[in-house]
Amino acid sequence: MTDDEGGIRTRGVRRAFGTVQAVTSVDLDARPGRVTALVGPNGSGKTTLLLMLAGLLAPDAGEVRVAGLDPAVDGRAARARIGWMPDVFGTWESLTAREVLTTVAAAYRMAPDDGARRAVELLELVHLTDLADSPAHVLSRGQKQRLGLARALVHDPDVLLLDEPASGLDPRSRVDLRRLVRRLAGAGKTVLISSHVLTELDEMADDAVFLSQGRTVRSQSVDDAAAELRAWRIAALSPGALADWLTAAGITARLEVDGSALVDLDGDEAAAALLRDAVAADVPVVSLAPAGGALEQAYLRLEEERR
Amino acid sequence: MSIAAERGTEAPASGTTPPKVPGSDWSLSWQGVRTVTQLELRQRIRSTRWKVALVVWFVAVGLVTLLTSGAVSMIFADPSMGAEGAGRTMFGVVVFFVLFLGLLVAPALTAPAINGDRSAGTLATLQATLLTPAEIVVGKLLSAWLAALAFLAASVPFILWAFAVGGLPFWSLVSVLVVLGIVLGIVCAVGLGFSTLTAKTSGSAVLTYLTVGGLSVLTLVLFGLSVPLVTTTEQVRTWDVPVDYDWEDSAPPECEWRMQEQEVFHSERTWWLLAANPFVIVADAQPLPGTEEFENAADPLTLIQYGVRYARTGPAAEQDWCGDMWFSTGGDLSADPPVEEPQPSESLVWPWGLGIYLLLGAGGVVTAVRRLRIPAQRLPKGTRVA
Repeated sequence: MTDDEGGIRTRGVRRAFGTVQAVTSVDLDARPGRVTALVGPNGSGKTTLLLMLAGLLAPDAGEVRVAGLDPAVDGRAARARIGWMPDVFGTWESLTAREVLTTVAAAYRMAPDDGARRAVELLELVHLTDLADSPAHVLSRGQKQRLGLARALVHDPDVLLLDEPASGLDPRSRVDLRRLVRRLAGAGKTVLISSHVLTELDEMADDAVFLSQGRTVRSQSVDDAAAELRAWRIAALSPGALADWLTAAGITARLEVDGSALVDLDGDEAAAALLRDAVAADVPVVSLAPAGGALEQAYLRLEEERR
Repeated sequence: MSIAAERGTEAPASGTTPPKVPGSDWSLSWQGVRTVTQLELRQRIRSTRWKVALVVWFVAVGLVTLLTSGAVSMIFADPSMGAEGAGRTMFGVVVFFVLFLGLLVAPALTAPAINGDRSAGTLATLQATLLTPAEIVVGKLLSAWLAALAFLAASVPFILWAFAVGGLPFWSLVSVLVVLGIVLGIVCAVGLGFSTLTAKTSGSAVLTYLTVGGLSVLTLVLFGLSVPLVTTTEQVRTWDVPVDYDWEDSAPPECEWRMQEQEVFHSERTWWLLAANPFVIVADAQPLPGTEEFENAADPLTLIQYGVRYARTGPAAEQDWCGDMWFSTGGDLSADPPVEEPQPSESLVWPWGLGIYLLLGAGGVVTAVRRLRIPAQRLPKGTRVA
């Protein structure tokens, strides 16, 4: 059964390894043209879920559709449209970066000439052209990570499953990764990206799916997460003046040791109002900004709710 | 292959047919196999371990050939022994040594092929592509076999040297080399099968070595132990000294036919145990030398070949109890006793052995392909997909 919407859709997906229930019930929607973040603590089932989406692992129950196909039924057709980047990146150590890509291209049934051309393109894309003909074992962790990303893109898949792609990347490469992911989404691809560097995802993702103990505990857009009640940090030249004003104005705030204060605010408009009031009250405010990323706060709130 | 047919028709999704990429788990394309083989060979060729192993092999076989050559030239220095025996003996020793080393090396070529890749995290990378499990398995098998053949090729100069000493038909050289190559390839296939069954490479290596050791040694032990099971008491026609002959008598006895109860070893029921032995298969691969050559022969190939052929023939219908004594033929020294001598079976033994091996090898390949099918339902203990 196909639906032409593409993207990723799962309902009630379940998978156990022996007695360990790795994934209990996951409902997930990732739409084409958008970057969806898969957020959850270690052991929450992110990698297992991605393996099932990539068609490598059979779910015990539940419904999985990737690019309109069920990877457990139309494995080969689905795999032709899925690019999977594993978290533990193993590579053929003695092959050169170029050979790794041409080998994968051949494994996707591409003609040798096309494969070679594609390898050049991708090496350029992930800035490994200089190292194209060095064996993979001389690459650093971050470079291998980039090679892994290039490998997932060889066959120009419609759906990208990236498991912790940012781990081991230096700041420059992270920026590149972010741009690349945005560009791929801009080209209409579905990108599902798991990471626990949440500030990274803030800037990259459109939607977020939160997993905990193998369950979907929340799905929302990053903008919605940003608009929710969350902590903002306000700082002034004179901490005393700030504290006095907050008390006088009856605003609940937590004072920090450095003299700044954390205030829970309901979105940007509330923040603007707070700033206006403070300035009007002659408090010498130097900064007002969200304390931490939207996803990070949403994630931590979830953790609290679960206690 | 019936499995191919069974798996070949993967049920398409009900309703509208999705854009199907052709190929089931068992389908093979040359392009896919070549991709895997090339990948494996590239990695192997670039490892120093492999080069060192090849050099050590070359030196070891060379050394054994040299020593055999020395020993043989001493033993066969006496011209009455004939140069023919020297060539045969040297050829036999070198071929068996190459087989022995090959049986040690071949498991190491494939036993870590799948579980090693799994723990290195590179197996899932291949599985996630459009390669079929069969292509991954056959590609890996082909590359391992080519590596095994490279070892065989490194010993060909020495085998040729032994052959050049003389005494063997050209056909022996060809058939022995071909059978050696096939046996090594099958050991590779068995190793590949075990490689998908255990999580650790050491586990699959041990299982493969046990299989090879079992075929090489256990077959002989079983053949020996089964003797009482296939030994029966029967009436046998014997050519014997008359019962009433008085040994004090000066006149020679006149041998006569009579029926006697005897223990008869029916080796024709158990010879196939020997056929499963790799050394027997290789020995039997040469054309059967004539009885005359056999009587002069002291080389391992011919002795084993005759041994197994006699075993296949089974017990003789008639037995000569007068022995080869002069009175056996009534004093006529030029005549043969009237007892029909057992002849070694003309039927080939090696095809049976190879048949057993091909089944084992096919078992290895089928196991491996089944274990590499995705999406994985059950994972072997202690492994993860990626």
